[in-house]
Amino acid sequence: MTDPLVEVEDLEKYYYEDDSLLDRLTGAEPTSVKAVDGVSFTVERGETLGLVGESGCGKSTTGETLLRLREATGGRVSFDGEDVFAMDGADLTEFRKRAGIVFQDPFSSLDPRMTAREIIAEPLAVHDVGTAADRRSRAAELMERVGLSSAQLDRYPNEFSGGQRQRIGIARALALEPDFVVCDEPVSALDVSVQAQILNLLDDLQSEFDLTYLFIAHDLSVVRHITDRVAVMYLGEVVETGPTDDIFEDPGHPYTEALLESVPRADASEHGRRVDALPGDVPSPRNPPAGCRFHTRCPYAREVCRETDPQSVAGDSAGDEQRRIACFRTDTDHDYWGSEPLEHARAEPMADDD
Amino acid sequence: MVDLDPLPFVSNETLTRIREALTPSPRTVRNLRKELRQSGLAKLGIALIVGVLLMAAFAPVLAPHNPTNQNLDENQLPPLGFDRQTTNTTSEMVNGSITIVNQTSWVNSTVEHPLGTDSLGRDMLSRTIYGARTSLIVGIVGTSIAALFGVTVGLLAGYYSGRIDDVLMRSADVMLAFPSLVLAVALVGLIGTASVRVPDPFVLAGLTPNMPETFTLPGTVIIVVGLVNWVWFARVSRSEALSVRSEEYIKAARSVGASDRHIVLRHVLPNSITPIIVLATIQVAAIILLESALAFLGFSGTTLSWGFDIAQGRQYLSTSWWIATVPGLAIVVTVVGINLLGDWLRDALDPGIEGEGGGP
Amino acid sequence: MAADSGRDLLRVEDVSTRFFTEEGQINAVEEVSFTVREGEVFGIVGESGSGKSVTALSLVDLVESPGRVTAGEIWFRTPDLAETVADDHPDAVDGEFVDLQRMPAGVRRSLRGPSFSMIFQDPMSSFNPSVTVGEQIAEAVEVQRRASANPRSTRSRSQGYGLGRLLFDTVVPTRSYVSRESRERAVDLLDQVGIPDPAERAEEYPHQFSGGMLQRAMVAQALAGEPDVLIADEPTTALDVTIQAQILNLLDDLQGETGMSIVLITHNLGVIARMCDRVSVMYAGEIVERGSLDALFENPAHPYTQGLLGSIPDLEDPASRLQPIEGSVPDLVDAEMDDRCYFADRCPKAMTECLDKPPEFPVDGDDEHAAKCVLADHDYVESEALADDYFASPLEGMDDTVEGEADD
Repeated sequence: MTDPLVEVEDLEKYYYEDDSLLDRLTGAEPTSVKAVDGVSFTVERGETLGLVGESGCGKSTTGETLLRLREATGGRVSFDGEDVFAMDGADLTEFRKRAGIVFQDPFSSLDPRMTAREIIAEPLAVHDVGTAADRRSRAAELMERVGLSSAQLDRYPNEFSGGQRQRIGIARALALEPDFVVCDEPVSALDVSVQAQILNLLDDLQSEFDLTYLFIAHDLSVVRHITDRVAVMYLGEVVETGPTDDIFEDPGHPYTEALLESVPRADASEHGRRVDALPGDVPSPRNPPAGCRFHTRCPYAREVCRETDPQSVAGDSAGDEQRRIACFRTDTDHDYWGSEPLEHARAEPMADDD
Repeated sequence: MVDLDPLPFVSNETLTRIREALTPSPRTVRNLRKELRQSGLAKLGIALIVGVLLMAAFAPVLAPHNPTNQNLDENQLPPLGFDRQTTNTTSEMVNGSITIVNQTSWVNSTVEHPLGTDSLGRDMLSRTIYGARTSLIVGIVGTSIAALFGVTVGLLAGYYSGRIDDVLMRSADVMLAFPSLVLAVALVGLIGTASVRVPDPFVLAGLTPNMPETFTLPGTVIIVVGLVNWVWFARVSRSEALSVRSEEYIKAARSVGASDRHIVLRHVLPNSITPIIVLATIQVAAIILLESALAFLGFSGTTLSWGFDIAQGRQYLSTSWWIATVPGLAIVVTVVGINLLGDWLRDALDPGIEGEGGGP
Repeated sequence: MAADSGRDLLRVEDVSTRFFTEEGQINAVEEVSFTVREGEVFGIVGESGSGKSVTALSLVDLVESPGRVTAGEIWFRTPDLAETVADDHPDAVDGEFVDLQRMPAGVRRSLRGPSFSMIFQDPMSSFNPSVTVGEQIAEAVEVQRRASANPRSTRSRSQGYGLGRLLFDTVVPTRSYVSRESRERAVDLLDQVGIPDPAERAEEYPHQFSGGMLQRAMVAQALAGEPDVLIADEPTTALDVTIQAQILNLLDDLQGETGMSIVLITHNLGVIARMCDRVSVMYAGEIVERGSLDALFENPAHPYTQGLLGSIPDLEDPASRLQPIEGSVPDLVDAEMDDRCYFADRCPKAMTECLDKPPEFPVDGDDEHAAKCVLADHDYVESEALADDYFASPLEGMDDTVEGEADD
């Protein structure tokens, strides 16, 4: 197997509040919001890795930090073998050409005062690629490739629909012929029928241009459809990684299980299906629970879960090496099994579990 | 269409960007035209401003007399229709006793000086026409200086935030703490009135031989009003920059590897420009008023300005009231015109023009 | 989820809502008809621009200028009101039903609370950030209490709460507008919607609530008047999927407890499947298909419904390729809408007869299930098909005027 294109190791992004000059003078402790707290995963060449989680889990922050759109506070990211955080000058410029991003909001991700042509050609202009005429024709080419008419290149973003704007954003991301594209919730803001168009487009582009995707989303059905592997995040940590089909059919981490159960299926049999998957709200990232971050809501939580944070363990209970699950339950010999269940935990075990 | 080639000369590209930023998009122009048709007040404002502009530009042609020609025989003539009586009280020695004689005489207005004359016999109409030049030049150039400096400071403060923002904005706050008039007076006192004599093209071309050959620009006043008013531009452009900065297209530009300079000039500036344009129109009015106040106080570098006339007319307010009133009205008309335009621009450029069609 | 729905509660007949804007007239809702029964959950599904939200607002007379309901009747079963107004408005009464459209605005307003209630998508913007949550709910309770104490007087709702009172209260702390009983009821409501420690949480401000909690609070506020119909406009769209499940459970439970009907508006077909008994599908301001949940999901007749179902990635069985609906939603500007089937330009099965507006046809003999499409009546005839580019707009690089925009 070849080297992964992207390797993320223990990535950390903390935001510090109470950190102004005055606070430091008065000796106040800076509180940190641990938006991303020790995230590790790899993205293989040519694959689509899904990064999934609910709001506040840190998936978007991970995507942006990985691309150095935000400065990480810890950890390491290597792209094609090179350390991304140590890059500067020419190396960084190269990286910017090889790694692109498509944003979520089709309305604010395009400069309202630039025409479609200017938007798509801007990356080329920034890197001084070709002549002006070259850039013009490349913009036209890209416009057509994403399914829009090049006759519309002179229009402004507000003259396009949401789906069309998203296409322009994709064209822009492709302008420099990247190898790797971070898709940050690219279809979340679109109507269902338009979503399908964009997903198909992303699929086609991947095969045509040999792209590697990191696909960030919260919609599990979309993730199931488009990704090869998935990493599930909760409160700044990755709780489970593995091949998409495996995870969706047989989730290993209780959070993944709860997530999947909560999604309403578009099928008549769904009617009246009561889901009591997870009580309460997501805790604040300012004050994450001790031990396993999920233990406050986990139906299987036990005493030991409150004390220690399970590290991602390779291999699920079936011994599949591709799966990594951060839960004590995967280890049949762990102390977990002897520990007392916490109050909110359900009666054990679920009939079709383990 | 815009040439995207980055040239090796910084200033060239910067100028292009600034030019682009100030050019409204075709859709904005379409919308503005439509809004303009609907607004009578805006048309009035534009008419007034254009009138004053033409007056200033073609002053030598329009003015019936040379505004600096003194004629003590014809001083303090009233405007047309305001003929008045004056009473001269003199005392005479008649046969050893003092007799008070009241001599009433008519002071007639003449068609020669339709708006009357001032205390030195200079034609008010001509002075008012020429005075437009001073006010407009000071207003426009002063605003440009203020805008240039203020917008630069504001954009940098807003885009970079943090310490730069703190330093820049605190100095702006310090500036604001001074009453602008006092500051202006102090600066003029320090630098003096650096008047610049500009040759008048009409006279040079021989079209209007009787008019003054040069026109005096009150240099210091222009700089002073610019420096005093930059703060407003800084504040507005800073808050615009702050909000634009968090838009996703800025992130997109960074993801593509654009430099900060590119982002500020290409993205932040054009999207911040709308309120700045509106502010600029309003500032022109404010600066005209400021210049008038300075001239009134005697700090102007030129004697041919509306403010100066108001100053000298002050002592004659109860008798030759037109000396102060005519230029005063001229200021009112100009400022009203500018404010009407500025108000309309602000509403017409309001968000929603570039936004989604409302409704379902 | 109702076991068996009862009688008709709300009959909407041919309601149209138009927006009269500077850019032209926008036909947001076009001759929409449906019925809501007692105790059922009625779903309205559509994408953006379908008119579903405006339909909801039209029901409760909350359409803001420049829009208004221009045609149609909204028959609501309300025996008491029917009796009261029968003499003055004989043509607005039909047995126990009253046509709300023919009633004066004050009457419609008085029904908000005790009869109709609404919850919205974004709870954060539906609450006043500077007033505690408990206070806001108590206010809603108080308004209802005063109104029901004086049913005839619409003025009594805000009785004693004008500007003078506000200024007076600011200066002189006296009895507040809201009574103690209302506050207690507010806490009860918070409890009913499943908020733990309701008494403490009532003293908190909206920003201290999470999205899910605030949505529950919004439901509590909506329940203040004990409404017969709760209209929920995208209640879970802004929420995470696990919280969404909780809120849907809550709505389910509340419906069981109170017997109220729910009109649920959303674009999420999964939510529709989970909650609704009967569904209508909206497109471009019209109801293009309606029927029971089973009928719609298992036997969709209208190509748009079929397209919608086909374009959703299935959680449990990922197809290799999604089947999107090509094209995009029309603008609904009156000047541009011809009198044809609005979906024809995107429909893979458009035929020449689709150039005339199709009426509603029953599907497969089920009178609950109807679709505004000729395909419900007879099969697709290939020879009658419209060419693929029949509706293509002449955009290709000709001139630079924007298609569809009125020239100045």
